[in-house]
Amino acid sequence: MRILTVVRQVLDAEESVNIQEGAVALDGRKLVLDTMDEYGVEEALRLREGAAAGAEVVALAIGPARTEEALRSALAMGADRAILVETETPLDVIAVSAVVAQVAQSEKIDLIFCGGQQADWDSHALGAATAERLQWPQATWTSLLALQGGMLSGKHDVDGGSESFAVPLPAVVTTQQGLNEPRYPTLPNIMKAKRKELRRVPLTEYGVSAKLRVVGVEVQVKQRRKNIIDGKDASAAAATLIDLLRHDAGVIG
Amino acid sequence: MVVEAQVKTAKRVTGGSFLIEDLNPDDIFTLEDLSSEQKQIANLAADFAEDKILPQVHEIEAKNWDVSRKLMRDLGDLGLLGIDVPEQYGGLDMDKITSTLVAENLTGSGSFSVTFSAHVTIGTLPLVWYGTPEQKEKYLPKLASGEWIAAYALSESSAGSDAMNIRTRATLTPDGKHYLLNGEKMWISNAGIANLFTVFAKIDGEKFSAFLVEAGTPGLTVGAEEHKLGIRGSSTCALVLADCKVPVENLLGQAGKGHHIAFNILNVGRYKLAASAVGGARSSLRDGIRYAKERVAFGKPITSFGLVQEKIAESAAGVYATEAVLYRVVGAIDAALAELDKNSPTFAAEVQKRIEEFAVECSILKFFGSEMVERVVDHTLQIHGGFGYVEEYSAERAYRDSRINRIFEGTNEINRLITTGWMIKRALQGTLPLLPAIKKVMDEVMAGPAAKVSYEGPLAPERALLAGAKKISLFCAGAASQKFGNDLGEQQEVMGALADMLSEVLALESSILRTEKANKPNSIAVKLTKYYAAHSFRIIETSAERVLAAVAEGDTLRIQMTILRRLTKHEPVNTVALGREISSALVEVGRYRL
Repeated sequence: MRILTVVRQVLDAEESVNIQEGAVALDGRKLVLDTMDEYGVEEALRLREGAAAGAEVVALAIGPARTEEALRSALAMGADRAILVETETPLDVIAVSAVVAQVAQSEKIDLIFCGGQQADWDSHALGAATAERLQWPQATWTSLLALQGGMLSGKHDVDGGSESFAVPLPAVVTTQQGLNEPRYPTLPNIMKAKRKELRRVPLTEYGVSAKLRVVGVEVQVKQRRKNIIDGKDASAAAATLIDLLRHDAGVIG
Repeated sequence: MVVEAQVKTAKRVTGGSFLIEDLNPDDIFTLEDLSSEQKQIANLAADFAEDKILPQVHEIEAKNWDVSRKLMRDLGDLGLLGIDVPEQYGGLDMDKITSTLVAENLTGSGSFSVTFSAHVTIGTLPLVWYGTPEQKEKYLPKLASGEWIAAYALSESSAGSDAMNIRTRATLTPDGKHYLLNGEKMWISNAGIANLFTVFAKIDGEKFSAFLVEAGTPGLTVGAEEHKLGIRGSSTCALVLADCKVPVENLLGQAGKGHHIAFNILNVGRYKLAASAVGGARSSLRDGIRYAKERVAFGKPITSFGLVQEKIAESAAGVYATEAVLYRVVGAIDAALAELDKNSPTFAAEVQKRIEEFAVECSILKFFGSEMVERVVDHTLQIHGGFGYVEEYSAERAYRDSRINRIFEGTNEINRLITTGWMIKRALQGTLPLLPAIKKVMDEVMAGPAAKVSYEGPLAPERALLAGAKKISLFCAGAASQKFGNDLGEQQEVMGALADMLSEVLALESSILRTEKANKPNSIAVKLTKYYAAHSFRIIETSAERVLAAVAEGDTLRIQMTILRRLTKHEPVNTVALGREISSALVEVGRYRL
């Protein structure tokens, strides 16, 4: 069995977001493996350690050369090898899914893990788009997984509860918070990761190009209105507040 | 597993040579030179601190030892307790930069930092360096995994800085199978949770020796927890040894050679303390900036006020300089250790000898780092105003926790004396060509104003300050030794002032070299270096004046002051503007980041 776990590199949650030259500035910022993808790596490793003993876990990333660091993190967690499809051009999710699908076929993958939601652009689409291209079943936003025979069962969260599902492999699974608690890479594994295979392939080999062109990026700055209601006259203040809530904010009828 | 040697970027230098030798930026190791694995390991420690240590701070402070023990076990599982332990005993045997990075990034709780450091450094290293194969086999795997906690028991109520003065005695039993230890140890970090103690005692009241004493050994009693100003979540107790029966095979190293263990371990303890100081200062600064961004006064966030900005800038410059010294020194230590053969029977002794070569840098790092973090936590508390004085915010705890750093691992006073004393000793031995350098400077300054040397690059004025600082230090050292000769050691205030000058020369040079190596003009690093240089040079000037006034009077003093004025002459940099720029850059990203 072979498991593909797709990972992305994102700005660390603690970093502030600034725009430089029409893009989010990443230079000198701390970049990390997207936590949502980390759940996927962890789940793949757990399967390898349990029901899918002997499985090979392959980490895949599509992005610029620096994305190697995210793959090294996945390798340090325990992935067996990694593939970096290199491109300096930002790709949209649909274009990325074309690469993932091709890799899944050429690598004879049985199960694909994707993050349920991107930490940076919030997209949920990669798993669905990949499943569609491969004509595989998809189980999205999963909170529990178990593998028995060729059948993957688990739970998928919905509003106010969850659905149980069972899908035959091959399949695409997307993660969410609570699926597991990703392990820390241990020191010996960080050192071992250095010697694991990390294959770089130029994007051109996949004949994929961006479907979406980014025209501009901006950060919406929330400005406080600093509108302080004088409370010396309590009933007048209450009346002003009600008026503001009703007519200005429109939150009460 | 085989761990490949890191890329060696540091030049092989000798300890103390910073005062007389000029290095190129490429000769030193800097934080910007970390390998990808070292960065990952640093991140691992930082993530662990953020996710596991910080959320449990209140449990740790409440002396819930189960929490601290569990954290230690988790660190052991991750391999973070075995960096300095040989592979055959369950460790990873990696470079000192890596273990320094871990000590630096394992922040979140000053108390837990002490628990960790006492275990991996003074707790574990004596065994690594002096243990017999049997002793190592028996104890090291347990220490590397965190299953056992280690402690180091040297201090006594009447033997702290004067450690050789210990009264604890060891007597061989008539059957020759045991030593009976009698005495009392004080302020032993980790005592309440330790499974293994390295206890120092004098055999027959004479031979200073070390013993491995397991918790639970008959005759060993661990006292009650001390009520401390800070690091309350770190266990500190006295030990009472009453006919404590230790098997002879638990004598560590040779009888009568225990002082080698005691002192060589301290060199590592000292630079590791600076690593914790850097980590603690960085997180305190982050707390200060966060609070300042939120707090509005007179209708504006207080980060818009100059006197708050000044605190942020000063803190950041101190962190930057300490990082520069720390990684320069540890990089040089790694370069010195890299030449050694790990399979040689004298390997452990060689390691210590090579680290001892940097004793002066280790001592400087100790007092310099501990005083830097104290300024930072003080600024952070002040930024918090009234909230800084109550327990609700971390500023109060950080302030209390940092105070111990000036006391343990040799007081800052002792380390200042060691710093100057060590340089003088090396000069007299001729192992460090200080005397010719002093003579050269003396001749030069007596000959009158010298032709101006011009420097290039964005740090040209700071280069000139550094050249002046080195000359001033040599000049003052020369003047002081001329006056006091062999009695200089008795003039503690002069020794201390000279140590301040030495530490500032090292910090100033390391900051300049680090910034030049990164080679990013207009960067925040350039501003921090300029800001620090101004601060540093003020200390050098003041200390020089203090030394000269103590060693000369009348016409001699007037001549010396003329020379000093000539050497200190410079156009001051606008630290007000620089401080604002530094602060605004840090406030934008919300913490110290280059």
